[in-house]
Amino acid sequence: MVAKLSTRGLTKSFSKNQTELVALKDLTIDVQDGEFVSIVGASGCGKTTFLRLIDGLTKPTSGSIEIDGRTITKPGQDIAFVFQNDGLLPWRTVHRNTTFGPELQGRPKSTFRKLTQDALRLVGLNGFDEHYPHELSGGMRQRVNIARALTVGADVLLMDEPFAALDSQTREIMQGELMRISQQTKKTVLLVTHQIDEAVYLSDRVLIFTARPGRLKEEIVIDLPRPRDLAVKRTPEFVRYTDRIWRAIEEEVRESIGLEVQNLARAKA
Amino acid sequence: MITGLAKSKEAAPPTRIAFSVPPALWRGATAFLLAAVVWEVVARYVIGNPLFLSPLSSVAVRTVELWHEGELQNHIWVSFVEFFWGFTLASVVGILIGIVLAEWRTLRQFCDPLLSMMYATPIIALGPLFILWLGIGVISKIAIIFLTAVFPIIINTIAGLTTTERTLIDVARSLSATPIQIYTKVRLPAALPFIIAGLRLSVARALVGVVVAELFGARAGLGFMIVNSAQSFDTAAVFVGVFILAVAGVVSVELLKFLEMKLAPWRFQSEDN
Ligand SMILES: Nc1ncnc2c1ncn2[C@@H]1O[C@H](COP(=O)(O)OP(=O)(O)O)[C@@H](O)[C@H]1O
Ligand SMILES: [Mg+2]
Repeated sequence: MVAKLSTRGLTKSFSKNQTELVALKDLTIDVQDGEFVSIVGASGCGKTTFLRLIDGLTKPTSGSIEIDGRTITKPGQDIAFVFQNDGLLPWRTVHRNTTFGPELQGRPKSTFRKLTQDALRLVGLNGFDEHYPHELSGGMRQRVNIARALTVGADVLLMDEPFAALDSQTREIMQGELMRISQQTKKTVLLVTHQIDEAVYLSDRVLIFTARPGRLKEEIVIDLPRPRDLAVKRTPEFVRYTDRIWRAIEEEVRESIGLEVQNLARAKA
Repeated sequence: MITGLAKSKEAAPPTRIAFSVPPALWRGATAFLLAAVVWEVVARYVIGNPLFLSPLSSVAVRTVELWHEGELQNHIWVSFVEFFWGFTLASVVGILIGIVLAEWRTLRQFCDPLLSMMYATPIIALGPLFILWLGIGVISKIAIIFLTAVFPIIINTIAGLTTTERTLIDVARSLSATPIQIYTKVRLPAALPFIIAGLRLSVARALVGVVVAELFGARAGLGFMIVNSAQSFDTAAVFVGVFILAVAGVVSVELLKFLEMKLAPWRFQSEDN
């Protein structure tokens, strides 16, 4: 069976005033159709870069990305990106933000109302079509952000720390909502997160990246039965998974903090 | 479900800017009245010489007189025409130059120091030269107004177009927007509030431009009326001119503020959101 999404030897380096910064090194990953995969790792280990490469927003230094066996070179309609800070256009209503994708693609306007209604119902925001983003709370804006990604009609959803800016109660609720949405839409999801419990709760598989340059350090299959509700977080199996992931990450976080300290020292000298 | 609850609490309309709040309006009006009374009393009983400071009531009377003579309307009209053309030209040309410079980085780097210098220079000081070059008619005034007003517009247009939030552009790119779509659907609308703020700065400068340009030499206009009245010791008429300009200034700035609020309400939301 061919993977929904696969990367082969994906490497990305940035050159900043003559020094070469390798953000990602030699990532080879396969994601199956309908699979929910989370990526965790220390800050600056290249998680965002990885998602941007898959979406076609930046070009890899070497390696390749394939979706349904076709190579990706630029942003297309088979992948949708959910950005960390909602990225809603403040001068547009929820409706016009939600259908921004179809509008850019020149799809018929007569279908837009229905697209918005379906997407907003799915994210639990029905009736908010004519509100402006600044009239909504952070959690509601993030729902619109997800709704906008849904109207694209893509099979693959890339999410970059979508709940990082939310308070912990709202985040918990949004995790439950995302669980429901991903199951209803049967989308393939790649989620970057700092919350280990979020990764375990939502995922079929968790990928742990090393400190910079980001490589695949470990891969953990989450073998918890579905459907899962939020109570699963209090079971011993769940806690065993989070402990295991935390131990794997801890070294990397320490190392990346060490790197920062060295950099600071070098900058001062 | 959470959303039903959230709707009533979280989607309340945001508090708009402060001047619509009744207490502030009320206090502002009181201050106005108090100032008027102080003026009247000081002019009448402390100074006592209408040549130095005419009482507010005399200014009101003089306004009616000048209006009946038909002279006032003519001055207002001439100044308005000069202001209108100078400001309109400055807006159109300023926005166009801003758009070109925002796109063309190399040219912008050539022009940047020049623009900052011209922005800071009191162009009005060149007034006598413009009268010399272009005569004492309307054209010299339009030129001066144009030059005083155009630089804030250019600078704000550039700032608006070059500081688009990166995530917004990435969102559009991710949804496979073309470069033209990114420009018309993201960068231009994002720049609009900046451009209007530039117009607001310029309106005040253009008004000063009108008066000072006319001071240097003119046949009609409010600035001309002010100099003329001062030279014939008609202090009340000087104040008539100043008042009309003050009202024009307040009205045009408030109009642009209103436009800004209509077009970019998210910039005026309260902090507690
Ligand atoms: N456009 C860029 N230019 C230069 N360096 C970049 C750029 N984008 C990311 N980086 C660097 O690449 C590394 C990985 O960044 P990122 O993918 O944002 O990490 P993460 O999302 O895991 O925190 C960081 O050190 C960052 O500074
Ligand atoms: Mg990141």
